[in-house]
Formats: sequence, structure tokens, C-alpha cells
Amino acid sequence: MSDRLLQIDQLSVHIGDQPVIENLSLKLKRGETLVLAGESGSGKSLTALSIARLLPAAAQVRAGQITLGDTALFPLTEREMTKVRGARIGYIFQEPQLALNPVMTVGDQIGEVLACHLKLRGKARQQRVIGALAAVGIPDPERRAGEYPHQFSGGMKQRVMIAIALAGEPELLIADEPTTALDVTVQAQVLALLKAEQQRRGMGMLFITHDLGVAWQVADHLAVMQAGRVVENAPRDRFYAAPEHPYSRTLFAALPKLEPQAHTAPVVHDQPLLEVRNLAIHFPIRRGLLKRTVASVKAVNGVSFTLQAGETLAVVGESGSGKTTMGRGILRLLDLTDGQVLHRGDDLRQLSSEALRIRRRELQMIFQDPFAAMNPRMLVNEILQEGMLAQGIGGSAAQRDARVRELLVQVGLKAEHALRYPHEFSGGQRQRLCIARALAVEPRMVVCDEPTSALDVSVQAQILELLEELQQRLGIAYLFITHNLGVVARIAHRVAVMHQGVIVEQGPVNDVLFAPRHPYTQALLAAVPRIEA
Amino acid sequence: MPIPLLLLSDLAAWLLFGVALAYAFTASRREHLRAPWRRVRQQPVAMVAAVILLAHVGITLLDSLHFAPQAANGTEAEPEPLSVLDFVLTPLRTGVETSYSAPFALLGFDRESVLQADGRVVREYPRLRYGGAHLRDPAQRGADILQRGALGAAAGALAGLLLLRLLWPAQCRPWRRRNDDPAGRAAALTLLVLCVLAGLGGALATRYHVFGTDKVGMDVLYQSIKSVRTGLLIGTLTTLVTLPFALVLGVAAGYYRGLVDDLVQYLYTTLASIPGVLLVAASALLLDGLMTRHEDAFSSLIVRADLRLLALCVILGITSWTGLCRLLRAEALKLRESDFVRAAEALGVRGPRILWRHLLPNVMHIVIIATVLDFSGLVLAEAALTYINIGVDPGMESWGNMINAARMELARQPAVWWSLSAAMLWMFVLVLAANLFADAVREAFDPRTREATPSARPAGT
Repeated sequence: MSDRLLQIDQLSVHIGDQPVIENLSLKLKRGETLVLAGESGSGKSLTALSIARLLPAAAQVRAGQITLGDTALFPLTEREMTKVRGARIGYIFQEPQLALNPVMTVGDQIGEVLACHLKLRGKARQQRVIGALAAVGIPDPERRAGEYPHQFSGGMKQRVMIAIALAGEPELLIADEPTTALDVTVQAQVLALLKAEQQRRGMGMLFITHDLGVAWQVADHLAVMQAGRVVENAPRDRFYAAPEHPYSRTLFAALPKLEPQAHTAPVVHDQPLLEVRNLAIHFPIRRGLLKRTVASVKAVNGVSFTLQAGETLAVVGESGSGKTTMGRGILRLLDLTDGQVLHRGDDLRQLSSEALRIRRRELQMIFQDPFAAMNPRMLVNEILQEGMLAQGIGGSAAQRDARVRELLVQVGLKAEHALRYPHEFSGGQRQRLCIARALAVEPRMVVCDEPTSALDVSVQAQILELLEELQQRLGIAYLFITHNLGVVARIAHRVAVMHQGVIVEQGPVNDVLFAPRHPYTQALLAAVPRIEA
Repeated sequence: MPIPLLLLSDLAAWLLFGVALAYAFTASRREHLRAPWRRVRQQPVAMVAAVILLAHVGITLLDSLHFAPQAANGTEAEPEPLSVLDFVLTPLRTGVETSYSAPFALLGFDRESVLQADGRVVREYPRLRYGGAHLRDPAQRGADILQRGALGAAAGALAGLLLLRLLWPAQCRPWRRRNDDPAGRAAALTLLVLCVLAGLGGALATRYHVFGTDKVGMDVLYQSIKSVRTGLLIGTLTTLVTLPFALVLGVAAGYYRGLVDDLVQYLYTTLASIPGVLLVAASALLLDGLMTRHEDAFSSLIVRADLRLLALCVILGITSWTGLCRLLRAEALKLRESDFVRAAEALGVRGPRILWRHLLPNVMHIVIIATVLDFSGLVLAEAALTYINIGVDPGMESWGNMINAARMELARQPAVWWSLSAAMLWMFVLVLAANLFADAVREAFDPRTREATPSARPAGT
């Protein structure tokens, strides 16, 4: 048996007449990990799907071949291919939530693979299922095998996915962004597990990621993809020491680094722009026939901080820490349970609904997903004018049109974009439009809820730059909600770390990130995948 | 000089047509509305169905222009109002036999006592007064049908080709060899087939009863064509009645939640738990009573029938808005959590405006899909309700009435099958076309199916 496990030769895949993968060739040896890195739309996932022959119906393989061991995969019949999937190729998807069947117990889903490929039955199968769950580090596997996916947390679900992928004892494991949907601390555990299993079993692993930090953790070899082509293919150490292709270098340059940076501190006024005192937001849990409130989820549980004009306060935390709920609560898009939100000295909870509606002009929001944040049925012009119309500002129709053109230029778009629909723009451009929409009413403060998380790194860098520039020019304060500590180091003046609805530590950015005092902050920072080249 | 007459349902039909035209005009100017229709336009099956549906719409509109003809000399009774379609179909309308006759028959279906020239009375099958009356020798019938049919079809084809030349853009005429628009070609071919059928029918129906005659000797083809308006109006007007309820209540319930939601849910669960047929029956009886008490106000038969048709639409509409309302409420519940609605709230946009600008346009695809899907169900519901005598007026031509009248005669030996078959066949064609069109519309408008097919795919591949 040769040590070559997977060979892709001159693969070309088209969707319609559009080439999405062009002349792609890759090799993977047994016991090695090849990382496919690249930004969204570069064809990483399609490459992986063509190996398992699971391409969507619209995509067609036009040329090339893929060999697994000694088997050429494309000439196989569909029936023969099902024996390859699961038994020789294991596949892990990005979203464990969607990849698991919600009405089957976890044990049955692993057992299915064992029944199909290893023909195991009864007791022997149950033994293996429990063994598989134990191997991926799930405590109390006998009990948990009988539970359903919704009873598992995100990280645990991804462990189950790994157990399923490994159950057939595959030679090749394909992991398509397996940790992107997970928090950093969980991500670190899952990466360690994957790497350990790969080395123990001597499998080949094809690992897809957009994150060069994650890639460093698992890769032996690295292939960078851009627009359907491999632009650079090198061993890990050589790649990180000296990336050759200009595109690889731009990726490195755009990577937000977790390093101390010099910030000009904003002027501290007597009265802060925003002061939050003991803010609490609880969601009631209703049960029974009469929907009585039996308990409550304490999403935000007593949070206090201040925000100065022209300052950026970053709120970091993992999913479920309550940071997004807090952001929405401050803007009064949610009802508050307790506490005060003082904006220019006025408690937003005490304002009448009409007074609050007018006050909204000064408090704006930018959302995580720029694709969902704009009404797809409205023109850019209408979207940007909506706030002006609602607040009764901007003057005549002609003046508002002029203001829209001015805003578009301000956020780095063109004035003639006003008469287009949102779907005609890329993700980064849409986020610029969302920023323009917020700016249209001349706010003093903007809540940015993970504004760059859905974007590629190179685009992310541009959006951060735009936000910084706008802050310097217009003196806007940002409440910047994020889970990405690299972004925090780059943009924030001060940081608040949130954990289970409370702020565990807050202070100037360089103190918190580089001399953390709270154990949770320390754990969070330790889990960030770092490149140690 | 005929005096134009506007019946209530005529008004509704033209209003609906106007609304459709207005929608087409707005849609053609907005990219996000035009794009899904363009996808519909690219599907040959949908285009075939669309041409058939448009032909039916044409018949309906022609049948919705009524006028009161001048009373003929010597008759006291005021003549019933006629529509333009009646006028066009005069030979069919006036060629009334005494009773049943089979399609293309020369003789009646039942024996009658006939007085012979020599004074004897014989029981025999009488010659029809109109069907094939021009033939001296019954044996010529086959040749005559062939000859007339061929001539009529040729004339129809010629007219069709002329129409295509006038209406169709040059690149999708079906006879062009290099044709990059298969859907346009399919539509053109359908139009041609319809023209040929119309020519064929026109040539034969003036001399024969193509679908036979019914109990009182009326031409069944004429009845079938007149039924188109009834079916189409019920299919579309009913939806028009349901829309305001479903849209306003559904979206408001989903967006405001709380008390509004409770009230709306209470309303539609209550309505949905009353058997719809009983409600229709009760209101039909009420209306009958009303019309008998005010006989002078409803003098003309056609006005009474018209009112009953509208009442049926309204009552069907009131009982059937709950399904769509439920769908719209669910969609609004989803949309109210979306970021763009939140962004509008953060900008201080008021509630009603959010409903109007953000929620309504984003649920319209559901409305369009539901409207087109419901249409065929409503056409069939009309037939079913009329069959049990709570549908349209018995004097009004409708497929349900045709089936109802034919049901007893099916037991005869030999059976009178043509009324039923004609109604079934016509309804089948219309409902099939509507369903195929609805499928294409659903596929083009449903965001879930749209994600599965890549939008990057250029047109025509």
C-alpha cells in the first residue's frame, strides 16, 4: 500500500457556465492533515463535496479525477459510492445543529453508520456506540447515547458528529469548517480532539477553514484557494514563515492580531454619553396549561458600565453570555427587567414612547448579518431615507436624495448605487450600506453587534478601518459587541468581558487583554488559536 | 339601439382585471418583482398554461360586457340582457332543439310522435331543427363534417399565424429553426392550437351541436363556454374577498402579538371550526328569502343570478381566509424578529409603517402562491356546491349546474353522457392549466426553492 491516500488531478467544476473550481490538483498522504484555506466563495467546500461526490445538483464536474487509495472515485456507480462514504470517507459539517437528525437519538445515529458499514447488530453495536462516544470525550456515554441532539450543547453536538464520522473507521476524514460555529474555548477542545484522533488512527484529514489561526493548530500542509484555484501549496512551517503568493500575504496582513496597540484615549467628560446601572434582562420560562411563569432565564443579570462620547467599548464573551441581549436592551428594542440606562442623563426607561422614538435618532445599531439586515424589497435610496423620514429630518426630497449620495460616498460606495437593491451588493458592501443607514440620522452612539463576524478577513479589515475613520471624523461612540479578541485589540479603547450575564472584568484594552486578572478572561485568551511562527 | 348594462359581477370582473394590469405595470418596473415572473416566463409548461388561462380570461371579459337588446316587435316581455359573448355565439344560443340530442346527431335522442304527409302519426326519431338541418341526405354527414372541419381548421390556423406575426417578437416564432426561447415557442404553439380549435369549433358548431344538447334542447357547447365566466369569477373574486382579512389580520397578529394576536387567533379558530358547507347553505337560503320578499327589486332573472354568484363568492371568501391568515401570521412572526425590522424600530419608524413597508412586501410571495393555488380548488368547489343546490342560481350556466342536470340522465339506457363529459373536460383543462401555472409560480416565488437553484445561472441554459 502506498502512503498516498488522496489525489485530486486537474479537477474542474462548473455551475451552469460559470467555473467554480479550475484545474485543481491536490495530494494527501496517510496520517497527514491538509488544510484548505481561503475566503468564502473560493471553492473550498465544493472541492470537499466533489471528493464525497455530494455536489449540489447544479454543479457539474467537467474534467479531472479523484483517487482515494487505489480507487478512482468518479467511475464508481452510486451504489458503490455509498460504500465509500462513511466507511472510507468520514465527513464533518460546519453546523452540527443541521447535520444531526433531531428525531433520532444520538446513539441510533452512530449505530446507523455501524450497521451500514461494519454490519454490527445488537449488543456489539451498542458497545461500539458507547465506545465511540467515550472516545470523543462525552461524559457518561451510556446515558447520553439515548438522548436526542437538542439535549446536547453546540460543542457536544460537534463531538457527536465527529463520533459519527469516525464510527465507520474511515481512511480519510473531511472536516468542513468544523469549529466555525463554536466558541473559542470549545473550538480549542474540538481541534485538540480532532488532531489526537487523526494521529491515533493514522487517518488522512482534509480540513477546511477560513481561519489561519485554526489552520496553524492542525495543519501539516496548507493549500490556499482563491476563486476556484490553489494559489499556494506548502508545508505548514514554510507557509507561515514566508508566504509566497501575494494573496496569501494579503490574508496575513488582514488578520487582526492580538497585540497591544497604541490608542489615543478619548476625552473624559463629566457626564458620560451613556451610563448603564445594574441592567437586568430576564426572559420568563412559562410552563403548564395556564402558562404560569415558573422561572426565568437571566440573560443579563446586573451589568453596569459607562461609555464616553467618541469612545469604543468592546463587549466580549462567548455565545450565550448575554452580550447581544444587552446591546438590544440598551437600545430599548427589548423590555428591561431592572436597572437604568442613562443617555445624556435621561433614563431611557422613563421616557414616553414618543420621546423614546425621537431619542432613537442618537442611538443606532449595526447588525452581524448584513444579508438579513436590509429589506430585500427596498431600494438603497429608500433604505437610507427611512430613518430621515421617520425622524422628520433631512429636508425636502431633493435634499434627502443629496444626503443619500453623500452618505454612500462617505462609506466608500458610489453615489449611483442609490438606485440598486441590496442583493446586488457583496457582503462587505452591504455592511457599508448598513453603516450608512445608521449614519443617516446622525447618531451619537452606535451599537455594533458582531459587525464583521459574517465577513471574510480582508473585508473585515476594511470595515474596521471605516468604523475607526468615522469615529475620528464624527466623534461617534461605539458599543462593539464581538467574540473575536483580535478585533478587540485593534479597535477598542476599553473592554468589558461578559460571562453568563455579568461583566467579570472591564478596563482599558491593553490591561484586560495582556494582563487579565479574572480566570475566565485568562481561559478565553488562552483558547484563542495563535500562530507561533 | 342596445343599451349597455353593468351588472355587479361585470364591475367586479373588470375591476379585478384592472388590478391585475396595475400589478403587472408595477411589477415590470421593479426588479425584485420582475425577477420571479421572469423565471415563470422561462418555463414552457407555465407558458402553455398561461396562454390557456388568458384565453379563459378573454372569454370571461367578453361575457362581462352586458347590454339590453331592444324588444322585438310584438313581444310584451322585456328581453333578458345579453353579453357580447352571447352576441358572438348567437347561432349556438338560438339553435334550441326540443330535447336531448347526441353530439353531431341529426336525429333527436327520444322518439316523438311525428305527423306524416299522408296523415299517419308515427313514433320515430325526429330530425333536429338545427343540428345538420342543411343536409338533404343523412349519409353525407361524415363527408360534410370533414370538409367543414378542414376548412374551419385551416381558417383558424391562418388567423393564428397572422396573430403570431402581429403579437410575437420575431425571435420566438415557432417556425424559426434557431430558437433560443423554448417557452416563447411553446406559448406560440399553444396559441396556434387554440386558434385551430376555435376555427374548427366555429365551422362545426354553426351547423351541428358539437357537444350535443341538454334536456331543454340547449347547445351544450354554448353552456360550457358560458360556464367559463362563472368558474373564473368564483375562483378569483373569492380570493379577492379573502385577501383583506387574511393580509391585515394575519400580518398584524404576527407583528403586534399579545392581545391582537389572541383576538385574531380566536376569530379564525372559531370560524374554521364551523362546517363551511353549512354556512354556505344557510346564507344561500337567507339570500333566497330576501329576494322573494323584495321581488320587484330583482325583476330580471340575470340580476338575481348575478347577485347569487356574488353572494357565493363573498360567503366562500369569508369561510376560507383562515388558512392564508395562519400562514401570514407565521411568516410575520418570523419577519418581526429579522434584523431589518429591528433596524427600522431602532430608527424610530412607527408600527403601521413597518407593517406596510417591511412586512407586507415580504409576505406577498405567499399571497401570490396561495391565490394561484386556491383558484383551482375554488373552481371545483363551485361545481360541488352547485351540485348540492347551494351554489350558483340554477338558471345560471355553470359546470356545477351542468353536472347536476346530467346526474339523473346517466342512469338512462343509453346514457346521456355528453353534458357531464363536456363539463368535466372543460373543467379539467382549466384546472390543470391553473395547477401547472400555480406550480411554476410557487417554484419561482418560494425563497426555499430559489436557494436550491443557483441564481448565477444565466438565462436560457
